[in-house]
Amino acid sequence: MEEKLISKVNLKMLVADLIKANHIVVGQDEKAVGWKRLSHTDEIVVNSNGVPSNLSYKEFLFAKTEPIFYFRNNKDNYDLIEPANVAASPNLDEQKIVILGAKPCDAPSIEIMSHVFNWDYKDKFFNEKAERSIVIGLACHYQDEFCFCTSVGLNPTSEAGSDLFLVPLDDKNFAIKIVSDKGKEFVQPFIQYMSEGNPKATSEVLDKIKLQERKFEQAKVREWIAPNFEHKIFDKVGETCLGCGQCAFACPVCHCFDIVDEECNYTCGRRMKNWDACQFGLFTIHGSGHNPRDTQGKRYRQRIAHKFKYYQDKFGKTLCTGCGRCSRGCPVGIDIAQVVREINLVANQV
Amino acid sequence: MNELKEKAKELLQNGTVKVIIGFAQGTIPNRTKPFIVRSVEDAEKLVFNKYCVNNLAMYLTRKEFKRNGVVGIVAKGCDVKAIVQLIQENQVKKDDVYIIGMNCSGVVSELGEEFNESTVATKCLHCMVHTPHLHHTLLGSLEETPKREDKNFVLMQKIDSMTAEERFDFWEAEFERCVKCYACRQACPMCYCEKCIADKSIPRWIESSAHTRGNFAWNMIRAFHLAGRCVGCNECERACPAEIPLSLLNRKMGMTANKEFDYIPGMNLNTPTLVGTYDVNDREDFIK
Repeated sequence: MEEKLISKVNLKMLVADLIKANHIVVGQDEKAVGWKRLSHTDEIVVNSNGVPSNLSYKEFLFAKTEPIFYFRNNKDNYDLIEPANVAASPNLDEQKIVILGAKPCDAPSIEIMSHVFNWDYKDKFFNEKAERSIVIGLACHYQDEFCFCTSVGLNPTSEAGSDLFLVPLDDKNFAIKIVSDKGKEFVQPFIQYMSEGNPKATSEVLDKIKLQERKFEQAKVREWIAPNFEHKIFDKVGETCLGCGQCAFACPVCHCFDIVDEECNYTCGRRMKNWDACQFGLFTIHGSGHNPRDTQGKRYRQRIAHKFKYYQDKFGKTLCTGCGRCSRGCPVGIDIAQVVREINLVANQV
Repeated sequence: MNELKEKAKELLQNGTVKVIIGFAQGTIPNRTKPFIVRSVEDAEKLVFNKYCVNNLAMYLTRKEFKRNGVVGIVAKGCDVKAIVQLIQENQVKKDDVYIIGMNCSGVVSELGEEFNESTVATKCLHCMVHTPHLHHTLLGSLEETPKREDKNFVLMQKIDSMTAEERFDFWEAEFERCVKCYACRQACPMCYCEKCIADKSIPRWIESSAHTRGNFAWNMIRAFHLAGRCVGCNECERACPAEIPLSLLNRKMGMTANKEFDYIPGMNLNTPTLVGTYDVNDREDFIK
């Protein structure tokens, strides 16, 4: 793998060029609430020591709300109108979505979600954005009690999902690893900003990062859930769970959505694709009024099972990156790693 | 903290309650989490400190707890305000709740932070109920509440002095971050509707889309539904992952209710609720 050196000043220049060329550069906001499209290089936050933001950058690939199509009444029929962002636009392919400074617990999200968005139906909304995305990853020096990336097969230095990968060497310089072909092609026009890399210095920095001890064995959870589907552990969590969607909406890989029609004005309607979450009672309620997941315990079980079993069974991937956003932000302090660890303990007792 | 554990054990053992809603230690030292006590062993895990931020009164209206007969609840003064309001609104029967009142001189504003004069929650700065005004038993002692500037109020005054257009722009920018996770509603003790208007889909009254129109519709309807009812526990703002300053709306509504009708929610069991009362002498000059 090729490796270069880029100074912070030059990284700024690179971002300035991207912004000027009307590419969408997405970075974490200063208050670590979420991610935003950068309009100026002063807004750049590339902090290897920072806590993951409350919300992930997934909304730039899988929008929290977006129109699928518009419809207009035309005498006895309806005219369907494609939304502008998907309609053939010659320049759109060239407008990259550059995710700047994605930690190893954020970078794999696009790849993980791409499985579900390309399984039986190819989701053009997600794919169209995923294709023009470039993920600039960032080695992570942050660690708190809510982090658990090492328990889901990642670690603070993993390059999974990154096209380019930054490693902070000192106050002024980053090592920039060119991870994918997409990344290689992307950096070509900016190669003048980079100098020869020093892989030895980089590995010294990376080697110093302490890996967190694993909190649970995910394979064990996967085996345990089906034969223990009615276990009381889920009801116990469900008892205090509020049933808000904070965990799902903050999650970098939760991808459920709802489809609703709404009016845009008196003559026109639109069909919208909106974020939805399995923790809502409304998520599974049938037209008859019957709800197969009628308690919060059952809904919480779905969350665990989908992340550590169903997604594994179907796509061979864990639907979790261990970022800990759901636990850090939970209004009632439910910590998913603790719950899964408890499941591990229960499974070991049998 | 032993007196709380002992009291809980006593209540369970003598059959006063079958279940107690309280707090246990969270993942990190400066964090607690709601905890349901059903046995004497569970009672050992109860804690109460500056990091017991949650308003546990929101669990009282849940079906799972209503089935349990008398429910014990560990409550700070601000939580008791919610309980009083719930009793007044006929959502909880007075005899179905056993309040373990906790003297409280303030809690932290953001979970995980160290409690001190810069992190004390805004609601604690003006608290009138450091000692709960309704309780079956009272535990703990009072210290002095740290003092700091009420930045939230300064911002409120600033918003008051804005033009309508500026105010709209301010809220548009704040609501833009809303993701419609409804954590505000779920954390609120006063949001107990069996079916929220935002969940009604035939027809859909509140657009579920998280765009400007949908976000305004949701946040405004919630503010209106809480006018004269919000007890100011500020759980909605704390739960919000997008950090929308919802307290500005609720506080403004509360201050208006107080100014116009001399009413503070959750203070007195015997005062009829503001929105549930009709008085022929009520002002009608707003109808034009």
